[in-house]
Amino acid sequence: MSNERFKLHPISAAVNFLKGLKDLIFPFIFIFVVNGFQGDSYEGGHWTDFVPYIVGFLVLAFILSSGIIKWKRFVYWFEEDELRIEYGLFVKKKRYIPFERIQSLNYTESILHRPFKLVKVTIETAGSGSAKEAEAELTAITRENAKRIEAEMAMAKKRKANILNDEAISMENQIHEPNTTVPIFKMSVKDLIILATTSGGIGVVFSGVAVFMSQFSDIIPYEKIYDEFVVFLKFGFFIVAISIFVFLFVAWIISVILTTLNYYQFTIVQDNDQIILTRGLLEKKRVSIPIGRVQGIRIVENPLRQLFGYCTVIVESAGGSLEDQDKKIRLFPLVKKSEIKQPLNKLFADFDFEPAWTTSPNEAKPFYYRLDFLWMLPVIAAVSYFYYPYGLLSLLLIPIVLLLGLWQHHSAGFSLHRNQLSLRYRGISKYTFFIEKKRMQSLEMTQSPFQQRKSLASIETTIKSGMFGATAKVDHLKVEDIEKVMTWYEPSGHEVIEKGQPH
Amino acid sequence: MRKEPINQISPKGLKVWRLYGLMHSAIIWLLVIGAGVLNWWLEGPWWVMVICVVLPILYTYIFVYLFPKLRWLRWRYEVREQEIELQHGLFVVKRTLVPMVRVQHVDTEQGPILRRYDLASITISTAATNHTIPALITSEADELRSRISTLARVAEDDV
Repeated sequence: MSNERFKLHPISAAVNFLKGLKDLIFPFIFIFVVNGFQGDSYEGGHWTDFVPYIVGFLVLAFILSSGIIKWKRFVYWFEEDELRIEYGLFVKKKRYIPFERIQSLNYTESILHRPFKLVKVTIETAGSGSAKEAEAELTAITRENAKRIEAEMAMAKKRKANILNDEAISMENQIHEPNTTVPIFKMSVKDLIILATTSGGIGVVFSGVAVFMSQFSDIIPYEKIYDEFVVFLKFGFFIVAISIFVFLFVAWIISVILTTLNYYQFTIVQDNDQIILTRGLLEKKRVSIPIGRVQGIRIVENPLRQLFGYCTVIVESAGGSLEDQDKKIRLFPLVKKSEIKQPLNKLFADFDFEPAWTTSPNEAKPFYYRLDFLWMLPVIAAVSYFYYPYGLLSLLLIPIVLLLGLWQHHSAGFSLHRNQLSLRYRGISKYTFFIEKKRMQSLEMTQSPFQQRKSLASIETTIKSGMFGATAKVDHLKVEDIEKVMTWYEPSGHEVIEKGQPH
Repeated sequence: MRKEPINQISPKGLKVWRLYGLMHSAIIWLLVIGAGVLNWWLEGPWWVMVICVVLPILYTYIFVYLFPKLRWLRWRYEVREQEIELQHGLFVVKRTLVPMVRVQHVDTEQGPILRRYDLASITISTAATNHTIPALITSEADELRSRISTLARVAEDDV
């Protein structure tokens, strides 16, 4: 085995620098804005006026040099079936990652990377409990070198297989070009636009603008604006309506742009035991999910999307690190629900995505809205009393909550199918969970005295997702159904049902 | 109906819960006495005094007598060869099943109060969840811990 040591591409110094800058951008803006507004009042001031600039300059120089040092000191190499990384100036750190522990290699190409044909490689390991152990990041390496890591991994696997049994399983197809496989799913431009329109993205843009406004509330002369606003109101309803429309339109455009940047050319490719997702316009991202690590599949339909027959498919995968919240991977950011079955079955052959549902019984209906009246009635009474005529509008809450409750009742259900448990429930969006028995970490049945009177109960199961768990809970099902699930889940109970079956 | 798990937790656990209840009742008493004195000094309305008497008595009754008792009566556990079953809750009954195959590790823990009563709590961790059985006699807890970890090692995946 070659003990050749690899360095990162010099551009990674620039990437480090920019990353450092990004972390400091708010303090910086603060310094310069504050200083800019006070310091210019007189000329040729005292030397202390320049202190902020000097500090700023020093900080900049520090970030720049630390970026360069980070790049200079970083080496990685392959040895004894491990990826070994060494970095750090004063405190030398070494991280050895055995190939078999590497779960996936994720590639990101930012605008800085692309002209030089570089990629950022994030190495994900199956974190075995401790959060720190996982994860390594190669800030910028050439695509060939990235390929090389894959090749080394495949070779190590092959060696291992050869040791295990000499009838070497043809591992040839382990080394491969992922590009050659046929994509399972591609997102069209139309889908992109629908995604942008129905996502929370618009809300984010709204709040973003609001936050931005509040950040600069000292600088923006609100009172002046307010006075003008009153004048503006006099202009008439028409103009107000138009400007609201324009505002919404702009928010929508921004949302479309952001979505396009993120999800442009979203493609799913299956590559042996990995699912590979590529996306992005300026920053290209390539994420791979080992199919064996998938803990469960979740289909989410928010009401707006459900109306048009669209849904989102999320994959819960184990492992990863603490900081990485992105473990709930959107497998299909947006897809017609009617077209979902085939690609999903192709990826997850063991699952049944259209099981027969057992729904919540009729007598459970009141349970879905009854409790809400506890908070609703006092709120409505108070609002109606204090804001008398208009406050009565709060009465509208009753039908809304009632209908939502009935809708939740309609959505609630479960299904047992061989080794698969499917749970369906609704908060506001509808969730459909598909979980294999071997992925369920625990199963819990809860029953309140009220439920007991009507022989109802709720069921909850937790699977591993990222470092923590993801929980699915269906309320108010029949007790006997839930007990059936409990017996199905119980290893000893299972044997009672299917007598003679060893495991 | 599903059978309840067999084992109950130690009766001493009830004592400890009552002690915890007493501890925060004491804080409530102190606050209420403070408020009562203030009220008397400022010559506030009489009903404040009534609240000052009724509230802490009710609180003490609920948190020292009623809740610990209900909770204790409810608490059941059973460690079988292939799974652990727990039942707990105050009004809402929770029943949890944890297969042995999913158990990653078992810890016992003992705070100063639990130690005084020779009790320990035992926490069973899976990859995603934690389940605690409170208040077992220390020797029992230790025994259970080693039993679970042995069983967890033996348990085979059925899929």
